[in-house]
Amino acid sequence: MRNRIEEIRNERGIRQEELARLMGVSRQTISSLENGRYNPSILLAHKIAAYFGLTIEEVFIFEEEEA
Amino acid sequence: MKSKDSSYYNNRRLALSIFWLVTGVVLTVLSILEVLDSTYWSGMGGGLIAVGALQIARNLRYRRNPEYREKIDTEAGDERNSFLRMKSWSWTGYIVMLVEAVGVVVAMVLRQETVRTVLSYSVCLILLVYWVSYLVLSRKY
Repeated sequence: MRNRIEEIRNERGIRQEELARLMGVSRQTISSLENGRYNPSILLAHKIAAYFGLTIEEVFIFEEEEA
Repeated sequence: MKSKDSSYYNNRRLALSIFWLVTGVVLTVLSILEVLDSTYWSGMGGGLIAVGALQIARNLRYRRNPEYREKIDTEAGDERNSFLRMKSWSWTGYIVMLVEAVGVVVAMVLRQETVRTVLSYSVCLILLVYWVSYLVLSRKY
């Protein structure tokens, strides 16, 4: 699943370490999310979207063929 | 009402570490006094002393150093780490079972009856544990 975490994070000038600390996960988790190597749980996805003040759909791009 | 200590290195882990250390010391002393077979039990005692001491040191560092505490708590609660741990156990189970299954065939060819029997039972045990785990988990989730 693609996502806009890196794009939004860069727009707002937030470092990976800072986002990781705020989300209570490791920096590697944020890096893996940004690279699309790891899909987050619904709880983490919600937490990230809420932190950015966006909906989950605005941050995470669900593509039909992934289902 | 007392709340459960959710810290990673809590008092329960500290007590367990002290238990390993004390058990290691007891085993080592008994093997030195030749009450127990020295080579086997002294080795195990030494190992337990090392594990216990290391865990106690980590536990104390966790309590005294807020940065280390945050690092450990993040690592312990990180969902990707949990995912990786579960995935690693899953791979470990598959690989061990496959290696043992191949070992059964090799032992049959080499006419190693004891090895073949032990490996066969081991494969059966792993499959049994898998099926029981699946049954328990399917009722839970």
